[in-house]
Amino acid sequence: GKLLVVPMDGSHWFTMQMVVEKLLPKGHEVVVVVPEVSWQLGKPLNFTVKTYSVSHTQEDLNREFKFFIDSQWKTQQESGVLPLLTSPAQGFFELLFSHCRSLFKDKKLVEYLKQSSFDAVFLDPFDVCGLTVAKYFSLPSVVFSRGIFCHYLEEGSQCPSPPSYVPRPILKLTDTMTFKERVWNLLSYMGEHAFCPSFFKTATDIASEVLQTPVTMTDLFSPVSVWLLRTDFTLELPRPVMPNVIHIGGINCHQRKPVSKEFEAYVNASGEHGIVVFSLGSMVSEIPEKKAMEIAEALGRIPQTLLWRYTGTRPSNLAKNTILVKWLPQNDLLGHPKARAFITHSGSHGIYEGICNGVPMVMMPLFGDQMDNAKRMETRGAGVTLNVLEMTADDLENALKTVINNKSYKENIMRLSSLHKDRPIEPLDLAVFWVEYVMRHKGAPHLRPAAHDLTWYQYHSLDVIGFLLAIVLTVVFIVYKSCAYGCRKCFGGKGRVKKSHKSKTH
Amino acid sequence: GKVLVFPMEGSHWLSMRDVVRELHARGHQAVVLAPEVTVHIKEEDFFTLQTYPVPYTRQGFRQQMMRNIKVVFETGNYVKTFLETSEILKNISTVLLRSCMNLLHNGSLLQHLNSSSFDMVLTDPVIPCGQVLAKYLGIPTVFFLRYIPCGIDSEATQCPKPSSYIPNLLTMLSDHMTFLQRVKNMLYPLALKYICHFSFTRYESLASELLQREVSLVEVLSHASVWLFRGDFVFDYPRPVMPNMVFIGGINCVIKKPLSQEFEAYVNASGEHGIVVFSLGSMVSEIPEKKAMEIAEALGRIPQTLLWRYTGTRPSNLAKNTILVKWLPQNDLLGHPKARAFITHSGSHGIYEGICNGVPMVMMPLFGDQMDNAKRMETRGAGVTLNVLEMTADDLENALKTVINNKSYKENIMRLSSLHKDRPIEPLDLAVFWVEYVMRHKGAPHLRPAAHDLTWYQYHSLDVIGFLLAIVLTVVFIVYKSCAYGCRKCFGGKGRVKKSHKSKTH
Repeated sequence: GKLLVVPMDGSHWFTMQMVVEKLLPKGHEVVVVVPEVSWQLGKPLNFTVKTYSVSHTQEDLNREFKFFIDSQWKTQQESGVLPLLTSPAQGFFELLFSHCRSLFKDKKLVEYLKQSSFDAVFLDPFDVCGLTVAKYFSLPSVVFSRGIFCHYLEEGSQCPSPPSYVPRPILKLTDTMTFKERVWNLLSYMGEHAFCPSFFKTATDIASEVLQTPVTMTDLFSPVSVWLLRTDFTLELPRPVMPNVIHIGGINCHQRKPVSKEFEAYVNASGEHGIVVFSLGSMVSEIPEKKAMEIAEALGRIPQTLLWRYTGTRPSNLAKNTILVKWLPQNDLLGHPKARAFITHSGSHGIYEGICNGVPMVMMPLFGDQMDNAKRMETRGAGVTLNVLEMTADDLENALKTVINNKSYKENIMRLSSLHKDRPIEPLDLAVFWVEYVMRHKGAPHLRPAAHDLTWYQYHSLDVIGFLLAIVLTVVFIVYKSCAYGCRKCFGGKGRVKKSHKSKTH
Repeated sequence: GKVLVFPMEGSHWLSMRDVVRELHARGHQAVVLAPEVTVHIKEEDFFTLQTYPVPYTRQGFRQQMMRNIKVVFETGNYVKTFLETSEILKNISTVLLRSCMNLLHNGSLLQHLNSSSFDMVLTDPVIPCGQVLAKYLGIPTVFFLRYIPCGIDSEATQCPKPSSYIPNLLTMLSDHMTFLQRVKNMLYPLALKYICHFSFTRYESLASELLQREVSLVEVLSHASVWLFRGDFVFDYPRPVMPNMVFIGGINCVIKKPLSQEFEAYVNASGEHGIVVFSLGSMVSEIPEKKAMEIAEALGRIPQTLLWRYTGTRPSNLAKNTILVKWLPQNDLLGHPKARAFITHSGSHGIYEGICNGVPMVMMPLFGDQMDNAKRMETRGAGVTLNVLEMTADDLENALKTVINNKSYKENIMRLSSLHKDRPIEPLDLAVFWVEYVMRHKGAPHLRPAAHDLTWYQYHSLDVIGFLLAIVLTVVFIVYKSCAYGCRKCFGGKGRVKKSHKSKTH
C-alpha cells in the first residue's frame, strides 16, 4: 500500500522512523512530508521525502526552542497544563503550527499528494498538521504519540476519563488522590476545556483556512482511526481505554546493539563500581553554568564512572570520573550489566529504556509529561526525583547513592522491567500491524464508538433522565392532586368548615 | 504451573476446554472441578477431573433442562414469556447454587484444594462460585466469559458504560438509538434487577459466610486479575474497556480438523448446490413435533443438502435432502467451501464460527443473548432472523433462499470475516498468554484501577462538584450581600425612605 507520513521533529521522530523503516521491507511505498528547516527530519532516509519551504530559518527555530527551554529553567516549576498554556514561550508552538500553512502553500506538493492516492496517513499530532492533512485529503489516519496534549484524547476517541481517579497531565498526581487533589484535578480538567482551544488557536485557524470551513481540535481528532500511544500500564495507571487506542510503550528499546569500542573501553575501565549514564535528552544541549558546576561537583563525589551527554561548555570543576560526550548510545549502555544508575530528564523514551533495561533512575524532569513520568517511577520506588531548579550538589549526590546502594530501587525497577517485557506481542510489531491494518481496511469504522454522534447531554443521558424525572414528577403531582381532591370529597363538610373557619380568623 | 479450572456447564465449557488443552500442551497441570452430574464436562487426558457430590441425579438434572427448553418453544405474550424466562433462570440458578453450596460446604475437599497449592483459578464468573472459592483459597483468578448478566461485569471491572450508546443485554438495540430506545435502554436493567437479585444475592451470603466478613458480589468479582471476554469489536460495538479486559472472540474456531469420512461423503454428494448446516446448539436436543414438521417441510423445498443436528424424534415429513445427525463437527463443516448457509440458534459460539468461516446465517434465537447476537448480524446484513415461535415453513424457506441466493449476504459476512481474522495474535494464544501471565506475576495488581477504592459519589466527583458549587454560591452570596450593602450606603436615604414607606402601608 501507499502510506503518507507526517512526522514531528525532535526525539518524537526517532521511534516513528523505526516503524516506518519496518514497513518498507513489507513492500509499502512511503512518502514523508517534512519542513525544509528541522533538527532531525532532514537526515538522509531511504524512502521518499518531500520537503516544503517554511518562512523561518534554522536559527529562528533554535532561538524559539531555546527561549522555550530557558523559560522552563527559569520559572518555578508549576504543575498542570495551565502554566504551560499561558507561558510566554508560545512562540515555539506558533512556529510549529505555522508549518502547516507553509505545506499547503506549496501547490505543487499538495497536487502531488492528491494524485498519489494514499491508503492512510501516519502522523504525529504534536503540531496538528498531520490531522489537517488527513482531513484535507479524506484519508484514514493513524496517530503516533506519547500522549495527547490537553483533553483531546478523551474528546477525539470518546474515551471516558473520570477525574476522580484518572490524574490530568503534568499535575504530578497518582490514581489515589486526597479530596484536595481531586478538587485540583477536576479544576485542571475544566481548565483544559477552557484554555486549550485558545492555545491551539493558530493551528485551528490554519486548519480552518485550509479546509475552508471552521474546525475545532475535536473535529480534527475525531476521525482518527487508530491511536498508537507510546505508553503501557507499567508506567501509566490503569484507566478506561477505547478499542482503537493501542499501547506500544517501550517500542524504542527493543533493538540492542553491542556498544562501540570507545564506550566499551569506558565501561570496562569503570571496574567493580560500574557506570552511571547521564543524559537530559536530545533536545537539551546546554544548562546554566552555575547549575552545571553544581552537577559536576556531585558527580565527582561518587565512585562510579559517569558518562554524561553534554554539548555545552565543560564545567571547570569536572571530576576525573566524569566523561563528557557529545552523544551516547543510551539504550545500549543502559543494557550493559555494569550500568548502575541513569540520570535522566525522564522523557518517555528515556524512562522506557530505563524500565526495559532495569536501571534505577535519578530524574530531573524539565517540562511536559516528564513531571508525570518521574512521579510514576518515584511512587513505584524505582527512582528518585529531583527538582532541577532547587537541587544542590548534596541532593544529587544523595539521590545517586540512594538508588545505587539501596537494593529496593534495583528490585523495584527489575519487577517493573519483567512486567513491561511480558507481553504477547512486541510493541514495534504491534505498531506495524495497526498501520497496515488501517491501510488494508481503509480505516477502522467498526472501531469507531457511536458516542461520536451524540451531543454531550445525550452522551450523559441527561435528556433521558430529564424525561423520566418529568414523568415521575407528573405522576406524583397527579396522584397528590387526586388524593387531595379525594380527601376533600370524603371529608368534604369538615374540610370546608375548617377552611371557612381559618379564613375568618385571618 | 498448576491451574484450578472451575467451568460453567454447557457450551461455555467447550471453548474453555480448548484453553485447558493448550495449557496442558505447554506443560501446565490443570485440575477441572465439576459436580458429579454434568452434561458436557467429561474426563479427558489433558486434565484431572475432580468431582464433588451434589444432591441431584443426572436424570433429574436432564429433566429440569428439558422442561426449561420446552418453555422456550411455547408461544405466549410478552409478560408470560418474561415470567417464564425468569422462572427458568430461577430454576437454573437454584440448581447451580445448590451445587455451589455443596462444594463450598465440603470441608475435606476445600482442605484438599488448599493443600494442592494452585497458582491460579480459571473460571467462568457467570456462576460466581469459582471466584468465591478462589478468594477463599487466596489465589489469583482469570475469568473466561461472554458476559455476566445485569451489568455486573462492568461494575466489577469499573468499566464505564454510558447507556446512551452501549445497548444493554437483551434489549436488542444497536449502538445508534433513538430517544425512546435510549429510554428503554436505561430502564431495561431495572427490570432485570429482580432476576439478578434472585440469582446472585445468595452467592453473596455464601461468600460472606465463607470469608467471614460482609462482602458484596461485585467486590468478590472485582479481585479477578484478568477478564478474558469471548467477544471482539467486529461483532460487538466499540465501547470503553479496561486494561485488564482482553478480547478473545472467535477462540472457538481456531482449531480446525479435516472432516470425518461420514461427513465428507455427505458433503461430496451435495453436488453444486452445496450444504446447509443446521444446529440449535448443544443444549437444545428436542423441539415440539409440530415445529419440527414445519421446519422439515421448509428444508425439503431447497436444493441444498441439509445436515441437521437433532436428537429428537424424526419428523415424519423429512425430505430426502435432509440428513439427521446426533452430532456434527460444526466448525469443520462451516469451514468447507461447499457450506452455503448456517441455520443457528445464534449462540455466541455458533455466531463466531459463522463469522470466521464466512457463512451467511439464518438465525432462530431462543433465549438470553441470542436475541442480541441475531440482531447484530442482521443489522450488518450477514443473516436473517426468524422468530422460532411464529415462523411458518414459508418463512424459513424464504430466509434460506435469501441468504443463499442474494450475493450481499455472502459479501457482508466475508467482510466481517476478514476484519475478524485480521488480528496481531490468535485469540487462543492470547488467552493462554494472559493465563500464564497471571501465574508468572501472581496476579496483575498494576492493572487494577483505583476506582475500586472510591465510593460512587467520589467516583463521579459529586463531592468535589458539591464543594466547588458551595464555594461559588458562597462567593456569589457574599458579593451580592456586599453589593447590596454598598448600594444601601450609597443611596442610603432613598432606600430607607422606601422601606419605611413600605412597612407603613402594610
